[in-house]
Amino acid sequence: MTLPSTIPARQEESETLRTRITTRLEEGTVDLPLLPMVATQVLQISRDPEAEINKLSALIQQDQALAGQILRIANSAAYAPRSPIVSLQQAISWLGMNMLAGLAFSVSVQSGVFNIKGYEKNVRALWHQALATGLYGKEIARRKRHNVENAFLCGILHTIGKPLLIHLILQDNSASPSHPSWAVMEAVMQEFSIMAGTKLAAAWQLPESVQEAIHFYPDGAYHQATSPTKGAMITCLADHLATAIIDPASLDEDAMRALPVVQDLNFYPEDMDAIFELHDTIQESIEAFLV
Amino acid sequence: MTPATSYDLVVIGSGPAGQKAAIQGAKAGKRVALIEQTREVGGACVYHGTIPSKTLRETALKMVQFLHATDVFDFRMRDDLKIASLMTRLDTVTRAHGEFIKEQITRNGIDLFHGRARFLSDREVQVRGLDGNTTTLTASILVIATGSRPRVPDHIPIDHEHILDSDSILSLVYFPKSLTVLGGGVIACEYASIFALLGVQVTMIDTADRPLKFLDPELTDQFCDAFEKTGGHYRGQQKIQHAKWDGFSKVTLLLESGETLESEKMLVALGRVANIEHLNIQAAGLTPTPRGLIAVNEHCQTTAPHIYAVGDVIGPPSLASCSMEQGRRAVCHALGLNSGDAPEHIPMGIFTIPEMSSVGLSEQDARGKYGGALVGRARFHEIARGQISGMTNGLLKMVADAKGEKLLGVHIVGEGATELIHIGQMGLLHHIEIDRFVDNIFNFPTLAEAYRIAALDIAKQRQR
Repeated sequence: MTLPSTIPARQEESETLRTRITTRLEEGTVDLPLLPMVATQVLQISRDPEAEINKLSALIQQDQALAGQILRIANSAAYAPRSPIVSLQQAISWLGMNMLAGLAFSVSVQSGVFNIKGYEKNVRALWHQALATGLYGKEIARRKRHNVENAFLCGILHTIGKPLLIHLILQDNSASPSHPSWAVMEAVMQEFSIMAGTKLAAAWQLPESVQEAIHFYPDGAYHQATSPTKGAMITCLADHLATAIIDPASLDEDAMRALPVVQDLNFYPEDMDAIFELHDTIQESIEAFLV
Repeated sequence: MTPATSYDLVVIGSGPAGQKAAIQGAKAGKRVALIEQTREVGGACVYHGTIPSKTLRETALKMVQFLHATDVFDFRMRDDLKIASLMTRLDTVTRAHGEFIKEQITRNGIDLFHGRARFLSDREVQVRGLDGNTTTLTASILVIATGSRPRVPDHIPIDHEHILDSDSILSLVYFPKSLTVLGGGVIACEYASIFALLGVQVTMIDTADRPLKFLDPELTDQFCDAFEKTGGHYRGQQKIQHAKWDGFSKVTLLLESGETLESEKMLVALGRVANIEHLNIQAAGLTPTPRGLIAVNEHCQTTAPHIYAVGDVIGPPSLASCSMEQGRRAVCHALGLNSGDAPEHIPMGIFTIPEMSSVGLSEQDARGKYGGALVGRARFHEIARGQISGMTNGLLKMVADAKGEKLLGVHIVGEGATELIHIGQMGLLHHIEIDRFVDNIFNFPTLAEAYRIAALDIAKQRQR
């Protein structure tokens, strides 16, 4: 049996990584990656009440890859265009300003600093989960009469610490001939992703409500959030729903209904029924969004 | 099956009407249960209505006062100021108010049940919690005080993201550049004037030729002038064909005239509907009116005499102040207690910018009822306090009988109107004659002086 020999080795590897990451995060010696330029500009435009859609359009046109993705998504079944979308302007018009801002941000971050060689599939799964969280967050916010746009942004960024940790681990491990296993990565992410995400969100000067959601979205922590948008609480439930949509086998509706966050959001059984009914719509949107 | 818990009084809904009903019952020594479907007590008044909109208004006014005082203070508004800053204060105020109400309920020994109420019979109510578990309560007296929510018109797809209602408008985290407000009632006018003051380009659309048709036209004229000065527009006599988010960057509104209007966001404030859909009132032998309300008599009794309904669920006037009184009086009636004389003169306060308030008869009604009327006016800019405070608008209009002796009504527009009205209310309640306002000495300089000036104006006409 190989199990007894690999577990100590994995534990040792994990322990070494834990020590290094802890030191770097706690001492603040992390060389945080810069927010990709396009994403920075997208954020600026979406925060600027005077900004025109044309600015965003011009920005997207500067980035060929981003423009291509947007055309692809606008033509997907989830957005069901009445006729084929053949121009960027048409795609922008079809998707809408807010969707476009979120999308441009998401795509540029994905294809930017977190395009991690060797872990593409895993990182894609992380984004898959984040997008599902954003989309569910919108629906929860809509039902609770909280801000829908904010809930989406909180959702797509709530686990931003995870790809950052992969980035850090690989930086640390650059001299080594082999990459750490994904299991080790996952163990480290489980432990440090919130701390890492919080630091990154602060460094990127993300909106305060989003920073708060990244920090406090887990069960039991969202009560510490103070933002009136309730982004942390909404993201908590959205994250559970997103996990279930990615791994349908894990979906246990009864267990989901019993989550404390469901009660804290004052969701009655019929509210949860309405959210569960959105499963297929959200699944289609995720497929359209994913790079 | 858990046996039913018995109470003397069961109140459904913890808004202003329900609270006062429950407290009145508890103060009379009765065993009271209060059922609330949200986690917080206080109802829409605290979380989506009266309290939030007034808090937003006060904060906006303070901000604008600061902006106008740049010659005195070295003050500049932060470029990144967002509505969220205003909403944070709102969150603090509503939380504090909610806590206060909760404490009051606890102090009075009222049992609070969190869940949705549903009648099983005319004396049994089932409370279904968030987890789906149920508890049954029985009582010999029941009060329905479930309030109301914004009406969703069939032809307007409210998505709470681009097209909002008066609940979701409070979720905005930035100021839109432009806002179309559908409706010309109290809620529409309040939000329209607040957002216009904050620099949003606001257009109000309504079927009526002027907003707030139930008010004295001189008041609404001043409101419209002030609204226009902040960049707002009122478009009356317009019928809406449909509205939709264009999927891009704006909401488009098609009017029956064929005209299309565009704005970044839209607020739909086309009335409210009673919250009765979960109540199963038919099981209690009640039937909703064609307008979806619960019909009551002058004591707020429904067709089942031991079941009372109070507040928005019975329809106009839908004022928090009236709802509280309805709750209190309904329980007094049910318990055979003396509730005092029915209030004759209930003031109406509208927290627009500027404020408007009214009590008693309008000029038109006075002429109809008394065969004539004398009207006295005092303009705030002619009063010392108004000049000191830089008030460019503001009017107090006093309505008297044809002889100019008896006070019949007071109508005020301008800052402080909702406070100032109470002098007029007391005058009406105590049948104070017009000359008493002339003889009386008010603090100087105060806006209360407007009463004296308006009374003098009437006296002057009388002498002719």
